[in-house]
Amino acid sequence: MKLTRRDFAAGIVAGIAAPHIISSARAQGATLKIGMCAPVTGPAAESGGYAVKGAKLALEAVNKAGGILGKQGELIVEDDQTTNPGIVLAFSKLAANAEIVGFLGSIRSTQVHAMAPDVIKLGKPVMIGGTDPNLTHMGNKWLFRFRPNDSYSGRVIAEYGVSTLGKKKWAVLHSTDAFGTAGGKALTAALEKLGAPPVLDQGYANQSQDFTPVVLAIKQSGADILGSYFTFENDLGIFARQLRQLGVNIPWVGSPSIVNITALKLAGPALYNTYGVADYAEDSSEGSKAFGKLYRDAVKVAPDNQSSWTYDAITVLSAAINKAGSTDPDKIRDAILAIKKFPGAEGEYNFDQNGDGLHGYNIVKNDKGNITFDKHIEFND
Amino acid sequence: MSASENIQVPAPAIRSKPLLLRHLPYFIGVAIVVALAARMQFDGYVHNILMQATTFSIAVFGLSVVLGLCGQINLAQAAFFGFGAYAVGIGTTDWHLSFWLCLVAGSVIALLAGAFLGASTLRLGGHYLAMVTISFQQIVTLVMINAIWLTHGPDGVSNIGRPALFQSSQSYLAFCVAALGIVGYLVWHLPDTRLGRAMRAVRDNELAAGVNGIDVFRTKVYAFAVCAALGGLAGGLFAGGFAYVSPDQFSFAESIVFLTMSLLGGVASPIGSAIGTGLLILIPEWLRFLKSVPGLYLAIYGLSVILIIRFMPDGIWGFVSNAFTRLRARAKAPPAVAALQLRPATTGGNIVLEVTGLSKHFGGLKAVDGVDIAVRRGGVHALIGPNGSGKTTTLNVLSGLYKATSGKIVLDGTDITNMAPHQRTAAGLGRTFQNIRLFRSMTALENVEIGAERPGNTMIGKGDDALTERAMEALTFVGLGSRANELISSFSYGHQRLIEIARALASNPTLLLLDEPAAGLNSTEKLELHELLKRIAAQGLTILIIDHDMTLVSEAAQHITVLNFGRRIADGESLAVLRHPDVVSAYLGSE
Amino acid sequence: MDLFLQLLFTGIGIGAVYALVALGFVLIFRATNVVNFAQGEFSMVAAYLMVYFAVDLGWPYWLSFLLALAGMALLGVIFNLGVYYPLRHRSYLPVIIATIGASILLANSVLAIYGPQPQVLPGWFETPGIQLGPVYLDSQYLLIIGVTILLVIFNFWFFEKTLLGKKLQATSQDKEMASLLGISVSTMIMITFIYSAVLGGLAGLLVAPVLFVSIQMGSTIALKAFAATIIGGFGDVTGAIIGGLALGVIETFGAAYISVPYKDGFAFLVLIAFLIFRPQGIFGERVAEKA
Repeated sequence: MKLTRRDFAAGIVAGIAAPHIISSARAQGATLKIGMCAPVTGPAAESGGYAVKGAKLALEAVNKAGGILGKQGELIVEDDQTTNPGIVLAFSKLAANAEIVGFLGSIRSTQVHAMAPDVIKLGKPVMIGGTDPNLTHMGNKWLFRFRPNDSYSGRVIAEYGVSTLGKKKWAVLHSTDAFGTAGGKALTAALEKLGAPPVLDQGYANQSQDFTPVVLAIKQSGADILGSYFTFENDLGIFARQLRQLGVNIPWVGSPSIVNITALKLAGPALYNTYGVADYAEDSSEGSKAFGKLYRDAVKVAPDNQSSWTYDAITVLSAAINKAGSTDPDKIRDAILAIKKFPGAEGEYNFDQNGDGLHGYNIVKNDKGNITFDKHIEFND
Repeated sequence: MSASENIQVPAPAIRSKPLLLRHLPYFIGVAIVVALAARMQFDGYVHNILMQATTFSIAVFGLSVVLGLCGQINLAQAAFFGFGAYAVGIGTTDWHLSFWLCLVAGSVIALLAGAFLGASTLRLGGHYLAMVTISFQQIVTLVMINAIWLTHGPDGVSNIGRPALFQSSQSYLAFCVAALGIVGYLVWHLPDTRLGRAMRAVRDNELAAGVNGIDVFRTKVYAFAVCAALGGLAGGLFAGGFAYVSPDQFSFAESIVFLTMSLLGGVASPIGSAIGTGLLILIPEWLRFLKSVPGLYLAIYGLSVILIIRFMPDGIWGFVSNAFTRLRARAKAPPAVAALQLRPATTGGNIVLEVTGLSKHFGGLKAVDGVDIAVRRGGVHALIGPNGSGKTTTLNVLSGLYKATSGKIVLDGTDITNMAPHQRTAAGLGRTFQNIRLFRSMTALENVEIGAERPGNTMIGKGDDALTERAMEALTFVGLGSRANELISSFSYGHQRLIEIARALASNPTLLLLDEPAAGLNSTEKLELHELLKRIAAQGLTILIIDHDMTLVSEAAQHITVLNFGRRIADGESLAVLRHPDVVSAYLGSE
Repeated sequence: MDLFLQLLFTGIGIGAVYALVALGFVLIFRATNVVNFAQGEFSMVAAYLMVYFAVDLGWPYWLSFLLALAGMALLGVIFNLGVYYPLRHRSYLPVIIATIGASILLANSVLAIYGPQPQVLPGWFETPGIQLGPVYLDSQYLLIIGVTILLVIFNFWFFEKTLLGKKLQATSQDKEMASLLGISVSTMIMITFIYSAVLGGLAGLLVAPVLFVSIQMGSTIALKAFAATIIGGFGDVTGAIIGGLALGVIETFGAAYISVPYKDGFAFLVLIAFLIFRPQGIFGERVAEKA
């Protein structure tokens, strides 16, 4: 009965009365324009706000340091409504503006999939945060990723559990949505590589009200460690409680949602002593600390990956354009791919030929409700 | 789309012109729009908006058939849309099939799914249909997400192909607009076809539709299948247009969006559908600023749905066209016609209707208990009895609205005991209702046309003109020919009764059942009715009449059967029966 | 066996939630012949009201509980006056669509106020549950099952033994006859909406500590509750309860033994099967012949 996914809406009375009033800066050629698709509206509007703030902070810093190719950078934000058709519309609107030299796409993999055909058609670089590994492996040379992809989160979870915690009998639990499926696949593949194929690989549908059958399946499988990809915090919360109630206390390494603030609030003690992977961890590097301080000062909220990846994307894109000395898409592309050992808020960027900038994750621990940095695991292949 | 005014009041006089010539302006208009779509330079944003509006409109046309024309709800249009989209998506990418093949296959799959879904539930009430379509929608979404081997799961299908002929975005858009124009034409003219009239009749009054020879169930299934097929077609076009599909584009929320588009524009016509679709795609683009608070926008959306239903039930287009109709002079009635001919079939013997041992029990209540009736050919037979004696129940069992508990009904040599109402009508039964059941959204002429369309009516030639002619004859016969093109609501109660009789007469029945035709009439009208009955009987049509009015019954009927407490207490020639002591006591006792 | 018992308890617990919401559907359906598609949102709104009183304002739990239910009674009045009453003479279709509109309105108004993040509502009991042999009994589910049993008894008493209940019964069976007997039909319908909103709210308040308070909590449960009412036999109170419990158990066992991701599909498959093969449901009479 709910429509939060899609935002076509009536509003007929207001709709007929109010004409369209959106103006954007129109100073021709005075600035160098970067387009950004962000969820200004829709279910992810809140995190979309953080993403825009991260990007703006980075652009301010770039402009203070002399701008891009001698011009001031200007960010043009278009609302993607947190939907697939929404981002297609938003991107096509930005793409119609020939002055825009580079774009920021979405943190949602399905949205990137939806806009990908148009990206190829346009042929200009697009920075993305979606973590589905396929995005940079499907022959689209214009996508550049500023978060470690899920094959790394899977590998990091596997690596940490097998090598650091020393557990080999895995239960893998994942949501059946895009994010969960890709993550579950990556984790299973990584475990097989490490010689510890999971004893249970279980999917669940989002918004399940009860996880008893899942918990019992984990119990019966005899697993001694749990790896999980949860999408929604309320699912995670219900599962965590039922897991503990039914007496399962094996170590648990989860995808980033397990250390998300809402999840901590909902599940409370049920999540104590679990581990999570996080692409942004404030204490993981000098770059992360610096961004954390800047962001806290400017926005007065704790920094998270929603803002850190857009911050890095703008920083790296600007640096690449400056290095290329041109706004020619192919030259920008070469410059981005040439970036190595570049310290960012998310970590150290070493772009590979697929367009993936990061190749590792941080492991953090839930220490009685406080999230503490444990270690960073990086891969070179 | 200037010729659209014809929807409201079809003027049969113009029908004689060739159809294509009359509709030429429409096709010229479509051709111009297609040419514009193919030539004009749009930026990608406008292009995407147009693409979305075009394909969504086709899906919403489907809803205008099932909801507007046939009055059934479908909360799974997005699922059918998804069938088409995935057929084209998976077909052109994974299976490397031709786009055209995929487009057709997607529409056919949607059609079959719609027909199956409809067939499984359309016998039940509308609430069930709402529920089942929601469930179906949920299952389809689950399958799209989880059947990864087939659908690629939540990642969706990308790089979807287009036909070689329309590779460029611009030409593909023009192609979609052309498709929209053709589908729009078909949907626009559907109400004036036999199937379309049947759908409208079902929407207005299911019972009356059934006893006028319309297979209600099958008509609903057709409407549902058409709706689903259009959804599938639209989805296929959509997939080609955007080259990417994923499950969340075909969710329940999307079905609600389709429904609202349809309601907003006006559920009854394709023009309304197109307006509603366009507005619901454009308005969110205009009102972005409202969306910075998540939920606020959709809250307004929900409120609008309630307000539209409350204050603008016909949608924007309905509102506008109603205003036009009021302004425009009423279409003239068709020219005078020949006198009505009734030629009741005479395949059976001397007895037209033979009822033996008929019973109808409701739980323990024996409403009708072992009744025998034999109606002789020609003349008027009356069935009378005090209140609660089982007269109307008998009539309802005769016309198939109730199933007989036991007994046998033979009409003109055919055993009709186990037939559905529309089959009995086809077999030659005509009837009217005590509480008049006309199709309220239609004109008098259209009402009678539905009667004339009875399967097995031998008195009607081929084509729309013959149909109109037959209906005009029947209306003229009851004295209302000059008002043929007026809506039912503008007629007095007595006249509505006459139209109902005309509807039955136009079908040239073998036996006419009249359920208390004098109820609610004043004395002048009763006299007119009596005259009418005489004229009908004079043409050799047999009448079985139920009425309380003893004067009417004793004067009109030659033969009377009397029921009391569900049993036959007397039967025979009129005057003798009325003097029968049991009859006298039954009536006096009850009064 | 242990596994079986644990699943059975969970299934009945979840089923009791469906049953509570289904009860609200059935009451409105019987009184007005309308399926209220906003019934699930009643549960959601009540839970948010409770969060507002008990968590945001920090008022005592019992007081917040009563206030939330009072708020639901008020919502029932508004719902009747704003959505049902103006359309009462139209066919079922406009009313269904209006209730769908109301459901969208309610869900998104709450979303606009509270945002998409789920909220926490503490449970009724300090102890989260008890271990009974091999089976863990969640205290909140025990409460839900208990309340469901009490409500079944209460409903029986209310509708069969009290004058008001009998008046409501009469109204739902034959409005014309009821008004001839001097019963105010519109008052009875108003009372039905209030009662049904409070019942829906009660379900929301009971389930909130287990499922958390989120915008979607109502709609997910409501769809299942719909299915439960049809499986039980539309319009039948006992049927709604049995249907709800059956659905909860079927779902839980289906998830455990067949497929977890398709868990939600079982409810709807069972529903469609029922509609095809036994549309009157377990307890319903034959779908009425109409004239």
